[in-house]
Parts: sequence; structure tokens; C-alpha cells
Amino acid sequence: MTKRRVFVRGVGAYTPLGGTWPTTVAELVTGATAIRPITRFDASGFPCRVAAAIETPFPDEDRRLPYTRFAAREAWEMARLTVEPARLGVFLGAESGRCHWTTALGLARAGRGPNNTFDHERFAREAPAFADRIDASVISPSAVAAALALEYGAHGPVETVSLACASGSAAIVEAARAIRLGQCDVALCGGVGADVDPLMLAGFGLLSILSARGISCPFDAHRDGFIIGEGAAMLVLSAERGGAQVELAGIGRSLDAHHLTAPDPEGDGAARAMVAALHDAGDPVIGYVQAHGTSTPLNDRIEVGAIKRALGAGVTAAHVSSSKGALGHWIAGAGALGALYAWQAVNAGTVLPTAGLEHPDPTCDVAHVMGRALAKDVDAAIANAFAFGGANSCLVLRRAT
Amino acid sequence: MRPVAIARTAALSAFGAGARGLGRALVECAALPGLPAETPLANPRARKMMSPAAYLAARCLVDLLGDAGWTDGRERIGYYLGVGASAGSLDDFMALLEESLVDGAYSLERFGQRGLAACNPLLAFQLMNNFTLCHGAILEGLGGPNSAVFSRGAGTIAAFGEAVYAVASGECERAVTGGADAPRHPATVEELARDGFLARGLVPEDGAGLIALEVAIGGEIVVEGCGVASGRGRPFADAMNDAVATARFGEQVQLVVIAPWGPPAADALHSWTAARCPGARVVSTAPLGESLAASAALAVIAAADLLERSQRALVLTLGVDGDPGAVVLARGVA
Repeated sequence: MTKRRVFVRGVGAYTPLGGTWPTTVAELVTGATAIRPITRFDASGFPCRVAAAIETPFPDEDRRLPYTRFAAREAWEMARLTVEPARLGVFLGAESGRCHWTTALGLARAGRGPNNTFDHERFAREAPAFADRIDASVISPSAVAAALALEYGAHGPVETVSLACASGSAAIVEAARAIRLGQCDVALCGGVGADVDPLMLAGFGLLSILSARGISCPFDAHRDGFIIGEGAAMLVLSAERGGAQVELAGIGRSLDAHHLTAPDPEGDGAARAMVAALHDAGDPVIGYVQAHGTSTPLNDRIEVGAIKRALGAGVTAAHVSSSKGALGHWIAGAGALGALYAWQAVNAGTVLPTAGLEHPDPTCDVAHVMGRALAKDVDAAIANAFAFGGANSCLVLRRAT
Repeated sequence: MRPVAIARTAALSAFGAGARGLGRALVECAALPGLPAETPLANPRARKMMSPAAYLAARCLVDLLGDAGWTDGRERIGYYLGVGASAGSLDDFMALLEESLVDGAYSLERFGQRGLAACNPLLAFQLMNNFTLCHGAILEGLGGPNSAVFSRGAGTIAAFGEAVYAVASGECERAVTGGADAPRHPATVEELARDGFLARGLVPEDGAGLIALEVAIGGEIVVEGCGVASGRGRPFADAMNDAVATARFGEQVQLVVIAPWGPPAADALHSWTAARCPGARVVSTAPLGESLAASAALAVIAAADLLERSQRALVLTLGVDGDPGAVVLARGVA
């Protein structure tokens, strides 16, 4: 059975470097970075005090919906298509939204019993006062996709993928699958991350995976951790080609089944996901790899090994870069941002650089894109997304013919 | 595309542990005899890092894989799960809170400087939604294609559909799917109360349901289709009609298992069923309470338990998200 093809009809982004994807690209091609000291709240006590944050007029609200709304609108306007409500689906990579940190701590305080243990009766008595500040229709992981479905009149499948750092990529995979299966004809899909806040700084700080130096420099010999970023990246996928120059040709997923935070040292799971996506796309020659490239010592070295294994001799034809040097790690939105980098390479021949990369680690010996963007004719590109817990998701974008 | 069959099921619910007999227990409102209360995990220390939902999923996975005899090739088995918002230990939040106070007031500086150190460093592993899937996958060595779909009902049917497609398309030969959730967590109870669900009859119950899928050979329960639809801003019946159309529902069913979040959803599902499936036997999962991401999976398991030869069953779900889901199963139907 021939599977339906899936075309990229529109893309959009809301990032710390620009309100649209083109304005963001205009900055990215120069090697600019959005990583700055955190000013949204007092970060002086935290182990990492920088982030790629969006200057926002709504710092105390859940920011996922406004970010996604901007990106979706841009992608939708670019797509210029009409679709029956029942044939439109929404697929989004997102984690839980955030209440104000004082509300979270207030909830914890509501249950504080003798000797600092949890008192259920006290919690039941006092928590409602705080719960009133937490609207599940706003902070639930599915709230953003639900709101988009309402705004775009989507009556087809509406899905929220919560797969940590692979969420955005996996949501695009689900959208492509739904189109291939005929469950919808058009999909609004992508991912959002809005994690520059005290609770996430605390959470990732607990894992000791943020850069102590405050620098994101994927594949650099001096890398020491990642920097949190935020934003939304959205795509409109369609079974009809229209004017699309790029198609989503391959999807692949795997689990490391190895460790909660560390990647499989052999990169086996990552390589399997890449191979699956390449095979699904008909094993095209890959000219560009948008790496997961977190700037952590382990990930980058292991990922390069996996890239070499998956591409084999074809690795010599591929340039490699990571979005996280310029825009930080968007967590649930990262995989979707990676898809836009890959789309940019195939659609416009613009291979965006790895900001912050100055001294490539000898163990990461692939053809890096450093400094400024590279002009290159790219027929096919692969975008990687690897999550805590070992879930891997890969997308192959190819020039539509 | 290859036909896909249900190979085995496993469940942990308000009725006890076990999937066989779950359907009949629902009809009779009886507890199951159950499996041993504590199925040992491959790595018992991992328990400390798990949220309640992750533990339920991992325990269920041990039972399922053991029952199915899937001991080899686990690195190629797919795993697709509907997951809720995992919740960490409130004792950990308490420790974090205690260190964040200066003269009784919150201090962000102290929160960063001391709150982190006071917190269990394993807290993060309890909070991420996808870890409900990943803990079990790591313990049991599942390495195939996967997804963690956030679910308040229909997301679990979406995950189920992903798994069916993965096996049908040859992406993997075997897959595990289902859902796990722990809505009795105090914070979730407060959320459900705030949104009015408790007042309208929702009874939160922790639960997990897992289903092993493989290529059908013949005689087993075959998955004929599944579908979800957006229920926001439109009549329920229209949304459900879209979901069952996607599931390729063809009117001829002898059994309908409904999974309503509470009485209002049950009324809606009963009305739809009476209109579209007259004469079908209707069984509700309501006696199990509402397990959010697990409810739809438990309904599929109950349907598989009750489905007799030459019969077709329709599973209908309506969770608190308002999105309907549908699954069509058949046993020995040409």
C-alpha cells in the first residue's frame, strides 16, 4: 500500500530572537545568540542564571498559549489553505504549564503538618484557596492544543504529546501518521517550551545538567551543560502539495531502554531512530543534520557517534548544527524548532550555524557549521530529538519532487 | 496493512489486580481475585524514583510481558502510553518550601540557594509526564517506537491507535499500549474539585491498563479501528460520530463498553448508544471510578474480556477533556 505523502505547507515560530521565523532566521544566520542573564525573576540564588528567554508582557502567566498562537498563525497564513473541520487535526508537543511559583509553594505549604510531613486533612481544608489560582484549562499539558483546536475549528484528532525533549518532534510524527492513515488531511503541529521559571531552573538544577559557565556551545570542547530556552515552532502539514517545496518524508522513533537521564553510551537508540526515519524516507542522501546537540558532555559525543553509524559513508555529505547554541533548549518545543532548521536548509539552502561553537571537541568530528550560516543545496535533512528517559524521535525532510 | 490482534492484557484497578475477568467483575460489581499484591520490579530501588502512575505502569508491564511470554526481542517492542500529569511527593515540596522561607515569607534567592539542596534530587524523575512510560521501558528493556500522549481520556485512545498503526504498518512486530494515572494525588483531587468534576459525581481512582498487540493470525480479538475527535465547542453527538467514523464503526455490534468520567458523561454515552447501537449489550466502567489516562485502556480490556466469538464490540470513551474516543474490536468475525 502506497502511503500518502505529507507536505510542509507552512512554518512559523515565536522565539527570543524574533516574533516570526524569517526575523529569527535573519538573526540566526549571523551567529547571534539569545542567551542573556535572566531578568524575569531574581535568579541570583540559582546555579544557572542565564537563559534564552522571550521578553514578554505576560511574565506571570502561562506563556505556552501566546507563544504557540503566534507561531501557529504565521504557519497557517503561509499555508494558505482551506480544510473541512473534520479533516483538520492539531498535534502539539507540550509539558504542563506553570502556575506562579508562589502558588506552587503555597499549595505545598497548605499541606504542611507536624514535623514537616504532609497533612492530608489540612491540605483538603486549605488547598482550595490556592487551587482557585490554578486553572487546569490553562496549565494542563493539553490546554494549548485544545485552545488551538477551538480557534482553528479543528474537529479531527487533537493530541498532546508529553515526551519531554522529544515532544515537539514526536507530535510532528503523530501528525504525519494521521495524514498518512487518512485520519485528517491537514495538521497543525509542532511544539512549545516556556520553561524559563524558578521551578524548572530548580528541577534541572537538581539534575546538575545546566551549564555552570552559563554558555551553550554544542559540540565544543568546553561545553558543560545546556541553557534553558523558550519559544514555539509550528508547521502546517498537508496531504495536498499546493506550493510546498518540502515534504516530511521519514519518521522514526525508538527507546534507549538504558537510563533515566544518560543516553545509551553506544548511541544505539538514537541510531535506531535515525535509521528508521531514513529508511522510511527511502534512504536519501542527507546534506544536513539538525542535531539534538544539547551542549552536555555526554549527549553531543554520543550523538555524533550515532550520526556516523546511521549515515555510514554518507556522513561526509552532511553538515551538522544545533539550534541550542543560539536559542537554548526549548524542552517540549525543541524537536519542532529542529524541524524548522531542517526545513530552512531544504527549502532555502540556508544551513544555520551552531552559535557558541568555537573549539570543536575532537570526539565530535563531523562537518560543523560555525560562525555564520552556510549556503548549501540540501536535498534532504534529518532533525533529531532525544529525551530524558531515553525516547528518541527523528524527522527526515526532503525536497518535494 | 496487517491485521492487529490483542495478545494479552494486564490491569490494576479499583477492583484489584488482573485483567481476566475484569469485564465480568464490572457486570457483577465484584472484586477480582487478583494477582499477588506486589509484583516485584526488576530493580526495586527504581521505585523511589517513580511517581505513583509510573509505578502502576511498571508493575502492569511486568505482569503483561510475563503473561505474554515476550522475553526476547524486547528492544524492538513498541510502547505507546496515555499518561497523566505525574505528581511528585508532596513531602519533597515541603522540604523545598521550608528552605525557601525567610521570616515566614518566600524568598526566591533562598529557593535557589537552599531549596534545591533540601529537595530529593530524584524529585525531577517523578514530575516529568513521559517518565510514566520511561521507567517501565528501562526496567523491562523495551526499545521500539514509542509515544507518551497526555491523556484525560481520548489521549489514551490516540496512543492505542499509534500502537495499532505501528504493528499494522510493520514498524514493529509487537507493541504494548494503554494508560496509567493516579488521580487520587491530593493536587489532582483539588484540580478536579476546582473544575467541578467531583461535585458532578467523578470518583477518582488510581489505575493502569496495558494491552499487548501483535499481528493477527486468526481467532483472536482483532482491532478493527480506533478514532478520536475534538469535542470542544460542538455537540457531543457530532464529535462522537466523527470518532466512530474514524474507527470505521459499521453499526453491527453486540457489545458496547462505555468509559464515562462521571454521571453526565454516562448519560451522554448511553443516549448515543441507544440511538446508534439498539439491542447491543452495554457495560460501563463507572464502577471502577475515573482513572483519567487509564480509564480508556481499562474499558478496552473489559471489552476484550467480555467479547464472545463471532461478536463485535465498540468501546466508547468520554473523559474530562471532553474529547470522545472509539475502538472497534471483533472476535472471530469474518
